[in-house]
Amino acid sequence: MHDMGGMHGFGQVTAPGGELVFHKPWEARVFALHMVVDFEGLGARPGGRATREQMHPADYLAASYYERWLWSAEQRLERSGTIAPDDVERMMQRLRAGEPAPTHDDHELAQRTVTGLRTARPMDPPPANVRFGPGQRVRVKRMHPAGHTRCPRYVRGAVGVVDAVRGADRLPDRATYGEKVAPEPVYSVVFESTELWGPSDDGAWTIRLDMWDSYLEPAAE
Amino acid sequence: MSHQHDDHDHHHPRPASEVELRAQALEALLAERGLVSTDAIDAVVELYEQDIGPQNGARVVARAWVDDAYRGRLLTDANGAIAELGFEGTEGDNMVVVANTPSVHNMVVCTLCSCYPWPVLGLPPTWYKSPPYRARAVSEPRAVLSEFGVELDDEVEIRVWDSSAEIRYLVLPMRPSGTEGWSEAALEAIVTRDSMIGTALPAALQPASG
Repeated sequence: MHDMGGMHGFGQVTAPGGELVFHKPWEARVFALHMVVDFEGLGARPGGRATREQMHPADYLAASYYERWLWSAEQRLERSGTIAPDDVERMMQRLRAGEPAPTHDDHELAQRTVTGLRTARPMDPPPANVRFGPGQRVRVKRMHPAGHTRCPRYVRGAVGVVDAVRGADRLPDRATYGEKVAPEPVYSVVFESTELWGPSDDGAWTIRLDMWDSYLEPAAE
Repeated sequence: MSHQHDDHDHHHPRPASEVELRAQALEALLAERGLVSTDAIDAVVELYEQDIGPQNGARVVARAWVDDAYRGRLLTDANGAIAELGFEGTEGDNMVVVANTPSVHNMVVCTLCSCYPWPVLGLPPTWYKSPPYRARAVSEPRAVLSEFGVELDDEVEIRVWDSSAEIRYLVLPMRPSGTEGWSEAALEAIVTRDSMIGTALPAALQPASG
C-alpha cells in the first residue's frame, strides 16, 4: 500500500491540519521512542520502515502516520523478544486502573541518543568501476518483489538516463533483512514524465530517483 | 478518505485516547525494564522541538544567497557545507542541494514513505507524509504546485526528486528580487519550510530589520 506514486483518488494535498508535524504530544513521544529503540538495537529486523510496509493495506490507510510507527515499534519489539505479546495490554490495564506510569532516568542513554541523532553516516564513495556513467540510458528491471524495495512500481520497466553516480550502498531489498551484501553503486536516474505517465495536460517534467545498480539494466541507445 | 481534518489525523482504528494510552504503555513498559529512559525520550522530543527544524535550512539558504563561495560548496558538497553551520545527523547522511533557477524548479517527495532531510528541515509536515502528496507529486506536479499557490511558466522544467533511496534533498530557492542589501537574518526570515521542499516560493515579506 505504501508504494503510492501515481495513484488516483486521494484528493487534495492541502488540507487543514496538514502543516503540523505532530497533532498530539503522544506522537512526538512515539517518534522519540522509535529513535531510542533503533539506536539501542532493541527491535528485530527488518527496520521500522520495512515493518510498516507489512501492515495490511486497509490498516495502513486507516492509521495515522504515528499510529503506524507505534504499530511497527511494537511488532519489532515483540519479534526480538524484548516484549511479550500481552505486555502492552497489561501495562494499559495498570494505567487505566490509575497506577502512575513507571519512569526511568538514564542520562547516558539520553546523551547517547542525541549524539546518535546528530551524527551523519554517509554512504561509501562510488567504486572506481561502475557499470553506468552519466548520459547512459538505462532501463529499470521489470520485477515484483514481495518484500522491501526502494524501486517504486511506477518506474519499473521505464527507460531513463543516468545523471550522476551518488555513491555505494548496500541493497536495501536484502540488507534490511540482515543479509550481508556488498555495497553497490547508486545512480541518480532521470525519467521524462512522458516515459512514465504518457502525455499529460500538466505539461512535461522530469522525475529523478536514486537507483541501486541491481535495479537497472542497459537500455538500447 | 475524509478531508474533515481537525486536530485528529484521519480515521482512527481505535479511539484516539486508546492509541494515546497504548503509546504511553509501551514507553512505560520499556522504562520499567530500564531499556528506554524517560529522559532520553524527553531529550529527543526537545531536540526536534527546539534545535532541529526548518530554521536550520533557512540559515543554509540565506548563507548561500549572500556568499557565492558558500553556495558553490553547498551545490558540490552539501554535507560539508551544511556541517559548516553545525547541522548534520540522522536522515541527512547523504545530502544533495538542488538550486532553482529561472528555468528549473525543484520539488521533493518520497512516494514510498516520508524521507525528508531532518537536520535542515526537522520532521516532515503531515501533508508531506500523506497519500495525496505521495501519489500526485510525481504524476501531476503542476496541479499540486497550483494547490500550494505556485504557478510556474510552461517553459520552466519541473524536476521532481523522489527521495525514496538514501539521498536527502534540500531545495535552494531563488533569492527574491527586492531583497538586495538585506541582512542574512532578514533573509532567513523569508525562507519558509515549503520553499525548501519546493512547494512554495520564499515569502515576499518586508525585512523585519535591515
